[in-house]
Amino acid sequence: MAPVIRVKDLTQGNGQKNILDGLSFEVYGGECFGLFGVRGAGKTALLHILAGIDRFKSGSVEILGCDIRKSEAFKRRLGLVTQERSLFRDLNVYENLEFISVLKNTEKENVLAAVKRFELEDFLGEPVGTLDAGIYQRLSLACALLNMPRLLIADDLISDVDTYSRHVISRELKTFLSGGGTCVWGFSRIEFCAEMNRIGWLENGSLTLYTPRDASEQWDSRLRSPERQNGDDDD
Amino acid sequence: MMMIRQCLAIMRREFFYMWRDKGLRCILLAGPLLGLLLFYATYSARVLKDIPTAIADLDRSGASLELARDIRNTENLKVVACPDSFDELNELIKNGKAVVGIVIPENYGKDVSLHRQTRVEVIVDGSNMIYATNAASAALSVTRTLGARTGINTLVARGIQPLQAKEAYQSVDFREEAWFNPALNYACFIVLALALNIWQQCCTLAACMTIVGETGAGSWYQIKSLGLSKFKLFFSKSAAQVITFMVISLPVFFLAFVIFKIPLRCGFPVFFLFNLAFVIALHSVGTLASGIARNAVNSTRFGMLVALPSFILSGYTWPLEAMPHYLQVIVKILPQTWYFQGINFLTFKNPDWAFMTRFFLAFFAIAAACYGAAAVIVSRRL
Repeated sequence: MAPVIRVKDLTQGNGQKNILDGLSFEVYGGECFGLFGVRGAGKTALLHILAGIDRFKSGSVEILGCDIRKSEAFKRRLGLVTQERSLFRDLNVYENLEFISVLKNTEKENVLAAVKRFELEDFLGEPVGTLDAGIYQRLSLACALLNMPRLLIADDLISDVDTYSRHVISRELKTFLSGGGTCVWGFSRIEFCAEMNRIGWLENGSLTLYTPRDASEQWDSRLRSPERQNGDDDD
Repeated sequence: MMMIRQCLAIMRREFFYMWRDKGLRCILLAGPLLGLLLFYATYSARVLKDIPTAIADLDRSGASLELARDIRNTENLKVVACPDSFDELNELIKNGKAVVGIVIPENYGKDVSLHRQTRVEVIVDGSNMIYATNAASAALSVTRTLGARTGINTLVARGIQPLQAKEAYQSVDFREEAWFNPALNYACFIVLALALNIWQQCCTLAACMTIVGETGAGSWYQIKSLGLSKFKLFFSKSAAQVITFMVISLPVFFLAFVIFKIPLRCGFPVFFLFNLAFVIALHSVGTLASGIARNAVNSTRFGMLVALPSFILSGYTWPLEAMPHYLQVIVKILPQTWYFQGINFLTFKNPDWAFMTRFFLAFFAIAAACYGAAAVIVSRRL
């Protein structure tokens, strides 16, 4: 099976320091790939490259069979939830869904279905700037999934989100994955790794692959190590 | 079909953006209208009448009193004081209580009766240029009439028939006639231009947000991840902005031409088309600024740097021909120069298409250059 994402020798940096230093990995269809790292590890930089937002220094990135330096065709089958609030501030909840659905060239029925699935009925007229984190993330994911993408890129999807919104988001994410969708999910709290199939641990510009259990154990062993106890804590 | 649907959605969102931004909405809606109302109120007198005048009659003869009476009856001069000495007159002008000072010398009556040359001094306060020009013009018309009458009387006294004396003085009849604005009405000349200056400044401010306003917001990530064509995005945004700029100008034009009766010699469709061409050129300058600038604040600064002095530099109030040659060349890069020059022609003279073509071409060239440069910057940077 051809990978949905194929990254080879990816290097990204500003000035002399490389944030991403020759990364190579692949993500397969139906997989939920967790991208773990402490703050400043370069998760957002990598996710922005995968989403085609930022250019990169060297290497190659193929998404859904497209070399992203040559073609943007993969973006038609992409959904994105960013760490920073990135919905249209000047529009309310419904207008955001409607506007993004037009830009993604999807039908209005998808908007109505998304409102229902993400339980946004009570917030449709609210400006997005005033939404609680949980509702905002539900809306962000709803917008990202409007075009029924094959690949979802999500950065910090459920951090600081209320329990009910987390439940709605997890439910819809599972539905998306069970339908054959692929997800790359950036996160910095190790307890979330249970929701994923594989973990890519990003540290000092390099990526190490783990199973969720191994990643969790690795984190625990680091916390127990003398250096950490001496206060060298990243997060 | 998809493309049209997306363009309309982007335009709709741009309208929402401009409408929901309270500050921007107030500036765009109220700025030009308020400007027009204030400027119209300021120039409501239309011409400067009742220019404060002081007459220092140092002679106090019958002839000097007659001269003072004639000056009192003049249309635009208002005698506010009759000082007894030159020094008093000097004080009145210094204090701003009089703008015109007329000094009738001692022995004026005697010299006139003996048909000897005499000199009546007319002093104008030059510290306020507008006042000074009007005062000088008003004083000149009085002194010329009175001078001619005195000359005719002198000839009659020397035995020449009154009719012959009159003909001798009027053998060359210099007749002044102001075309296009016969009353030299300030309101007709300056009010619309000042209001449109406010309008173009507001439009420049908004246009300076075209690119940086989008790329500086978090939603830029969404746009980039959607793979939306930058041309489609910025073309649709620009179209919405240009439509908005034209719409906000309509109440200004209605108020100016219909309510305040400011003359418009050309037809409204031509005037509207001219404004549309200008708005596109102006928007291109703002778009370029927003492409070059790293953030919204810098873009606004750049826009204001262009928009604020452009009216003065346009040659509307001070002729372009009187500026240094290098400056004449530089200011022609700005669309405002062509605009205010063109506005003057269109409102007062109704020139033909052949004449106005150069203005439209200038707008086209500016728009092509600025949009082109902005497109290159956007494609390289974003």
